Amino acid sequence: MPTELPYAADAEDSLSYDELQVLRLQYQKEVSQSHITVQTKFNYAWGLIKSPKREHQVEGVGLLQDIYRNEAVRRRECLYYLALGYYKMGNYEEAKSFVDRLLEKEPTNLQAQSLNNLIEDKATRDGYIGMAIAGGAAAVGALLLTSLVRRAVRK
Amino acid sequence: MMTPKIMSHAATVSSKSNYLKNTGRSTADFATIARAPLRFTVNRRITSRDLQIVEAANELLEAEVPEPEGVASNVSLLRGFNATIPSAEKGKSRRRQTRNVDAPTLGLKKLGLNARGLLAEDDHDGQSVASEDDIVLVNETTPKAKRKPRQSLATTKTLGKEELKRQRSEILRDKENIQVKRTLVNNEIAEITIKIEALDSIRAKLEQDLLKLQEEELELEDELEGVRERMEFESSSNKLQTSSVHHLPPSSRRKRGPAFLPSEHHGLPPGVAFMTLSSHSAPITALDFSEPYGTLVSAAQEDPQPRVWDLLSGQEIGRLRGHTGTIKCLQVEDHVCLTGSEDSTVRLWDLRRVEEDEYLDIVTYSDAIGSDAGDGDVAERSRSIRNGSSSGSEMGKETAFVRALEGHSKAVTSMYFEDDCLVTGASDKTMRQWDLTTGQCVMTMDILWAISHPPNVSSSGLSNSLFSGTAASIGTFAVPTPPYADGTWEMYQDFVGAVQFWGYALVSGSGDGAVRLWDMRTGQPHRTLLGHTAPVTCLQFDETHVVTGSLDKSLRIWDLRSGSIFDTLKYDHAVTGLQFDSRKIIAATGENPVKIYNRTTMQHSSLLTNGHTRPVERIRYMDRYLVSGGRDATVKIWAL
Repeated sequence: MPTELPYAADAEDSLSYDELQVLRLQYQKEVSQSHITVQTKFNYAWGLIKSPKREHQVEGVGLLQDIYRNEAVRRRECLYYLALGYYKMGNYEEAKSFVDRLLEKEPTNLQAQSLNNLIEDKATRDGYIGMAIAGGAAAVGALLLTSLVRRAVRK
Repeated sequence: MMTPKIMSHAATVSSKSNYLKNTGRSTADFATIARAPLRFTVNRRITSRDLQIVEAANELLEAEVPEPEGVASNVSLLRGFNATIPSAEKGKSRRRQTRNVDAPTLGLKKLGLNARGLLAEDDHDGQSVASEDDIVLVNETTPKAKRKPRQSLATTKTLGKEELKRQRSEILRDKENIQVKRTLVNNEIAEITIKIEALDSIRAKLEQDLLKLQEEELELEDELEGVRERMEFESSSNKLQTSSVHHLPPSSRRKRGPAFLPSEHHGLPPGVAFMTLSSHSAPITALDFSEPYGTLVSAAQEDPQPRVWDLLSGQEIGRLRGHTGTIKCLQVEDHVCLTGSEDSTVRLWDLRRVEEDEYLDIVTYSDAIGSDAGDGDVAERSRSIRNGSSSGSEMGKETAFVRALEGHSKAVTSMYFEDDCLVTGASDKTMRQWDLTTGQCVMTMDILWAISHPPNVSSSGLSNSLFSGTAASIGTFAVPTPPYADGTWEMYQDFVGAVQFWGYALVSGSGDGAVRLWDMRTGQPHRTLLGHTAPVTCLQFDETHVVTGSLDKSLRIWDLRSGSIFDTLKYDHAVTGLQFDSRKIIAATGENPVKIYNRTTMQHSSLLTNGHTRPVERIRYMDRYLVSGGRDATVKIWAL
């Protein structure tokens, strides 16, 4: 049965503060009882990932990693969520490797494919920006050098 | 355009990103390197958590991704999320809102509080005008106005088709959510049940560990006792000069601590009979040994000559000749051996004089009753009795025999001696106390008299269940034993099954099933323990308990101070021999294996490897060395 997964756009749609608070309280209550159910953990992690704040996303990804480590049966789904989390955080390499892993298992999964495309696009776009910046820095650096040399020559 | 400066810059940057990737995979492609400057420009604090996650990612990717099954395939995480987040409840409350009917305030809350006897808090504001409005409105209709039939609340509002459809689909979805939740909860319950079982089994193991610790503690206490006795013995033997025949180290019967064993003994597999002594030809009736790997004396039915064995080699050293009837009981302490026989005499033997090269000939040992060679005259010792001349010349006499004690009129069936004091029980229903240095009987205790004049009528009840005890005490006592495991049975005729004493306290077990406690200073029994329903065959006591075995197939443990039964162990056949210590009770219960009962864990076990082929009759053990004799005419040695 193919896994039900949300499209990446769903991850941009964040929960309200109250809702996230409720999830957090539920999770902490279970922590204090030292018996944490997978569903609670996932609920909280997913809520965190959906939030725009980076600390939340980082924490959410951390929780998802826990789930991945401990529950072998849930790993297939977690591949997707982890990829999504990394994508939101901006760690495109990890996101790519996770989504690739998922595509190995389910090549026909629509959400996985769309996420894959998204990641590739974002990654190359950032690459261009990076190159642009590097280029700009190079240009500025060259200008400085020539001015220094000229000054030295003049002396 | 790439100047050296930029190139080195790019190189360091790429090495940094490589570091971040842990170089597990070398996908240093364009996008990776190119994005590096972006990282530095866009000011993002890389927290330790970030690094942690990144490092963990690689490790996780190594893990396997199995097919999801069970709950995971039925309820995906997202479904579960949608079912359990708080906003899932929104639909319900929204629907409830739509069913709210605008009705004039009824003041229901105040009503409810009043019904509970509480004052409604709101009314303290003293708005009397308003409060009148809060009263249930129904009564306010003016009495004159014609009362319309009250419309039901449901009809005052119409919801509309769209709204109703929406509500219906919402409800259906909510129902699905409930299914989802139910699956999740069931799954949790199953997991927790498994965990509980695992924890339970851990707890059971720990409790067993506790029992083991208790057992070890008891063993250490016994060892401490033994060491103390040894200290006393060794310090006192330095002072003593002579050693008469009867001087012994602390009585090995009561010695608790570990015995001195050859180191090889500990390498022996436990529960296996490693030595078998077979030269008897009839069921063993009595056995005892001086110490592990010392000297063993064993006797069989219809054989008036008990055999002496060397337990180190497993060879027969010689025989004790003198009795004319079956040996019924014997005890060995160090080199002193006492035997009681059906010829109603007790003989005292010095085992040091049973020669190793005595020939097992049919040379009948000419009777040396009355030979008082108790002085161990070494020069008189003759080495060989091979010559058939049984002319009773004192030169050729076997001088192991020391003394005979006569006095009983019927078979001597049980005995116990310690230092210089011996107590015997016989089928003439009396018990006699002897002084071993002189060989004289010091006191006679008449059991028949005790039966007919019971000391006090109390004791542990059951007085009516005395199985025809008094009847059996009249005339010749003979009771058929219940069949052994191999089906054989015998006529049991030993009226006094067992005796033991300590100091002035004597305990006897007799054919009427009663266990009596006597005071040897007065010769009177002061207490009778009733409970067995058949003759008592064996007993032993220590400071707190008396343990008795009987033909009624049971083994009873009594509390010595109160006289009440502490525990009863039931077996399938008659109990014919027992010995116990603080941790275990070893019993011969009419079956081939020797039965061991662990008093700490209350578990039963048995010794059968290389064991007897017919029921075991007698057992004796010291520390980890057990000797058993059975109806198959063999004596077997076990390592415990």
